[in-house]
Amino acid sequence: MILEAKELNYFYQDGDSRRYVLKDTNVGFEKGKFYTILGQSGSGKTTLLSLLSALDSPHSGNVLFNEQDIKKIGYEKYRRNNVGIIFQSYNLIPAFTAVENVLVPMAITENEIPEDQKTVAYNLLDYIGIVKSKADRPVNKLSGGEQQRVAIARALATNVELILADEPTGNLDEEMEQEIIDIFKKLAHEHDKCVVVVTHSNEIAQQSDQTFMLQKGKLSAYE
Amino acid sequence: MNFIKRGFLSVSRKKTKSLILLAVIFILGNVISGSISIQQATDNVETSIKERLGAAATVELDYEKIDQMSEEEHMNLEISNLDLELIKQIGELSYVKYYDYSFSTWLGSDTANSYLGEGVEERYEYDGPSYDFQLKGVNYAPVLDFEEGIGNLLEGRAFEDQEVENGSSVAIISKKLAEINDLQIGDNITFTNSVYSYDYTTGEEKLETSRDVILEVIGLFNPTSVSVEEGDRDQGMFDYMNMEYQNTVYVPNEVVISEVTYQFEEYLKYDEEYAAIVEEEGISMTDYYIPIFVLNSPEDSRSFAEEVQPLLPEIYKVSSSGDQYDSIAAPVESMSKLAGYVLLIAVVATVLIIGLVVLLFLRDRKHELGIYLSLGERRARVVGQILLEVMVVALIGITLSLFTGNLLAQGISETLLNAENTQNQYHDMIYYSELDAYQTNVTMDDVMASYEVKLDFSYILIFYIVGLLTILVSTIIPLIYIVRLNPKKIMM
Repeated sequence: MILEAKELNYFYQDGDSRRYVLKDTNVGFEKGKFYTILGQSGSGKTTLLSLLSALDSPHSGNVLFNEQDIKKIGYEKYRRNNVGIIFQSYNLIPAFTAVENVLVPMAITENEIPEDQKTVAYNLLDYIGIVKSKADRPVNKLSGGEQQRVAIARALATNVELILADEPTGNLDEEMEQEIIDIFKKLAHEHDKCVVVVTHSNEIAQQSDQTFMLQKGKLSAYE
Repeated sequence: MNFIKRGFLSVSRKKTKSLILLAVIFILGNVISGSISIQQATDNVETSIKERLGAAATVELDYEKIDQMSEEEHMNLEISNLDLELIKQIGELSYVKYYDYSFSTWLGSDTANSYLGEGVEERYEYDGPSYDFQLKGVNYAPVLDFEEGIGNLLEGRAFEDQEVENGSSVAIISKKLAEINDLQIGDNITFTNSVYSYDYTTGEEKLETSRDVILEVIGLFNPTSVSVEEGDRDQGMFDYMNMEYQNTVYVPNEVVISEVTYQFEEYLKYDEEYAAIVEEEGISMTDYYIPIFVLNSPEDSRSFAEEVQPLLPEIYKVSSSGDQYDSIAAPVESMSKLAGYVLLIAVVATVLIIGLVVLLFLRDRKHELGIYLSLGERRARVVGQILLEVMVVALIGITLSLFTGNLLAQGISETLLNAENTQNQYHDMIYYSELDAYQTNVTMDDVMASYEVKLDFSYILIFYIVGLLTILVSTIIPLIYIVRLNPKKIMM
């Protein structure tokens, strides 16, 4: 397993009572597979993803990356070197161009990156479907689908094995949604990445190798 | 793309925001720069004027306090002389470079002529007592007046410690006096210590006895030239003081004490009434010393006075040559105070305003900071990037305001100084002080002349430190508030 969650608990304190979003959640993910986590709005999908990506910390339980507790690795270091995160709202730096956005994590990570980072960034964007003329445009001049492609390229820029995506197609039309899902499948099956996508869409879930269902704080395999 | 490159890129890409920040920093920078300029200029005035006034101090009667006393207090007033041990104790303080305590008397001469002034040849002859020469006692062998540049030794030598200790009959006279009396080093000069009795009914003075005081000339001095412009209103005073100094004869203190004792004791033989009072009250004529302490630096005056004052007998005070500064430089001082307040307010206002502006900018950038943190960027580098962005703009704004603020300060201080100067036309009563010989007279014009708002290294350094530190503080506070949150809280 590249990523495991063990006995994860996360709750909101409401006076004396606790409202559990995740309760004793256990789950594991392997390399080379495309996973989806399915659930209704407010079911805790995004919370689970933020715990798996170390954007937040659980109240109890552990997240293991390659069998090592990410707390021990260090949340910041884990985000820097081990995981690529993709958000529904892209979260790109608006003042920068597409290629500059891809270059940002390359300077942050401690992973080995080829010396000519700019060429790597252009190649990555090209692979994802952003041609050079668009790569040099400020990201706010690109369409939603193009911006999400830039976000995917940015997640791949640090050469990580784990990609976590939170509703990556939530703001895209159907055609664009399929193109993005195809990229994820390619990354998992051709490049041996572990891709975990949080979604509320059954169509996307049907295309994944394995789906988990999150309901009332409990995660279960979905057939 | 590391955080430094990101910072520069953000500044150049967000031109409008950078320009707004630049304008705010420039305006506030002018206020800070102006206040520092004025403070620096007033500090320079204080240093240069105090330097000119010298670092001498003395302990003397507080005539101002005596004048303010009621009649009853005057009647009960008992003035004790300064104890020699106390003078020595003060002289040993660390602030004191060297010191002397002098005892003086005036003698006449039957054989030596006194200096009457430039171009004056005719002598006025009369039968009464003549006291043309001041014998100034010295306890500090190298002679304090020469060390302090009041006079300089042209020929011969100063005293030796043993001569001072033994009260040897040696003297240092002025070159002028030597020329008038055709004296060389090694020659003797003879003074007459005459004792006159006074008839209270007729008002006549009668020579009762006298003795010769023969002194070997061991050195010749010249008064340090003081340039006085022709037609100066102080010309007459200057001529008189010059004449008096040319007729001063430096001798060991013991020589003066011996002559004063002789004169006093002989006089008592002819005035029985006074002799009775002296016996009853134990009056002595040989314990009135005038101490002069030369301090290491004019800056030490205040600390010296604070330490010495508690040691002194009642109604004595410490006077230092720098005291004059306080009375003449009031307009500069009040401007310095004003500038100090403005600086303080400006710094606080800058912290608040820049803090708010940065907070406003950070509200827009909050999401961006969250993105960097979600990518695993170190918090310190995120803070560093924003600091860099603000500091780059601040550096430009501060550099621009360095010059404009200085110009502003020149204009403001000129107006303020002129206004204050016309309001301060009154002068307090001036009391004679033993220090007068050791200090240069400084006027308000000198103060105005030494007031100069300029761009010197220390000003530039202080301004950059104050300016950049202020902006640093006002940026860090809102920044820390944001980056201490976890990325999820910032972004979601």
